[in-house]
Amino acid sequence: MNCEHAKEQLIDYLNHELPAADRSAVAAHLEECTECRQELLALQRVWGMMSAMPVPEPSENVRPAFYAMLASYKEEIQAKPSSWATVWQWLQEVFTPQHALRLAYSLGLVGVGVAVGFWLNKQQLAQTPDNQQLVTLTKQVADMRQVMLLSLIDNPSATERLRAVSYTKELSNANPRVVEALLSTLNHDENVNVRLATLEALSQLAHEPAVRQGLVQSLAHQESPLVQSALADVMVQLQEKRSVKPLRRLLNDPALNEAVRGKIKESIQSLSNGQSVPTTSNKPYDETFHPTPADRNTNTAV
Amino acid sequence: MLRVKAGDVDRMGLLFERYHRRLFGFLYHMLGQAEASEDLVQTVFYRMLKYRHTYTAEGEFRTWMYHLARNVLADHVKKNRHSAHHTDVADWSEKIGGGVRADDILQREQEVATLHRALAHLSDDYREVLVLSRFQELKYEEIARVLNTTEGAVKVRVHRAMNELKTIYLRIEN
Repeated sequence: MNCEHAKEQLIDYLNHELPAADRSAVAAHLEECTECRQELLALQRVWGMMSAMPVPEPSENVRPAFYAMLASYKEEIQAKPSSWATVWQWLQEVFTPQHALRLAYSLGLVGVGVAVGFWLNKQQLAQTPDNQQLVTLTKQVADMRQVMLLSLIDNPSATERLRAVSYTKELSNANPRVVEALLSTLNHDENVNVRLATLEALSQLAHEPAVRQGLVQSLAHQESPLVQSALADVMVQLQEKRSVKPLRRLLNDPALNEAVRGKIKESIQSLSNGQSVPTTSNKPYDETFHPTPADRNTNTAV
Repeated sequence: MLRVKAGDVDRMGLLFERYHRRLFGFLYHMLGQAEASEDLVQTVFYRMLKYRHTYTAEGEFRTWMYHLARNVLADHVKKNRHSAHHTDVADWSEKIGGGVRADDILQREQEVATLHRALAHLSDDYREVLVLSRFQELKYEEIARVLNTTEGAVKVRVHRAMNELKTIYLRIEN
């Protein structure tokens, strides 16, 4: 037996784990080999010390701790005799007051979220009132224009009065006071241009019965050939039958401009036939007059 | 243990009385800390109850116990990785004594302390086989079953561990 093999066996030799045959072989080698003997001594020392090493006793706490654990474990396994009981216990745990409170709190939060969502949505819807406000504002501007018109229409300057009349262009419907003011201007304004502009403005508002009536009555007040002619055109355009009478009365006026006379005759004819003649309101007033036999006939017929 | 497995949990008390010192010794030698070892004894017995259905009559109870103890130990080491194996030398001096002469006590104390330090320097694998064979007095065959290895492998490991321990011991001593 060589040293290497012997050294491998030394522990087992000490440990008494070697079969008898191997044991005697190792013992024989130890007799011869000093080095292996020293090795054995060193190992023996440590080995021996290990067995002499006192194993400390566990403290007194271990035993009661174990029995307490055992007891609680027994309770634990008795506490869950069936799976149904486990489920029931779980349900009870879920619905303990604390959990219920948490659940309520969560639901509360969700509720608040929904409420805020609704509120924000409403805010957006509330912008429709903005549109209403816009409508109101537009109406207010319109009203303002009418007030402006009323205040300007009495202005001494013809230019200002013209501007006042021009405000009505954007009005779809005017209030009675405005109509009255316009009609008054049409009848009494000293400036022909203002009267013509007013007539134009009023013709836009002719869908109102008061305006129509005012226009018809205005025929008697007009002395300017231009306005007379324009009025006659408007009457034809509107097919206002009531205007025939005042028009005829105009024809009786000896001071009537000949050109206008012809125009009015045309208008009366058109109104009587119920046919609209091409409008000539924008045609510049022509002073030259060429009486026709037809005109004469009409004149005599009246 | 089979009766414990069958539901007679009270029988566990018997096993505790029979084995807890040995178990404590194993854990103590492996850890070097008395208090922690006591806690682990508790843990091992708790696991015996909890996993009693895994116990098979084939293996001996002792082997099964060491199996569980090794797992518990591994968990403990993993949890306390930062705190290395530390030896409570003071513990040793308390346990020794009684009727021996002062010089002898001193010398033995020193020797034991040195051995303990040497053991602490050993790797866990080496220390384990030494503790199991020398302190727990398990046969190689039993150790092999605990470690899930062969008897020959255990033999080799014990041999190497012993040489290593001897070397470390002599180095500390000198």
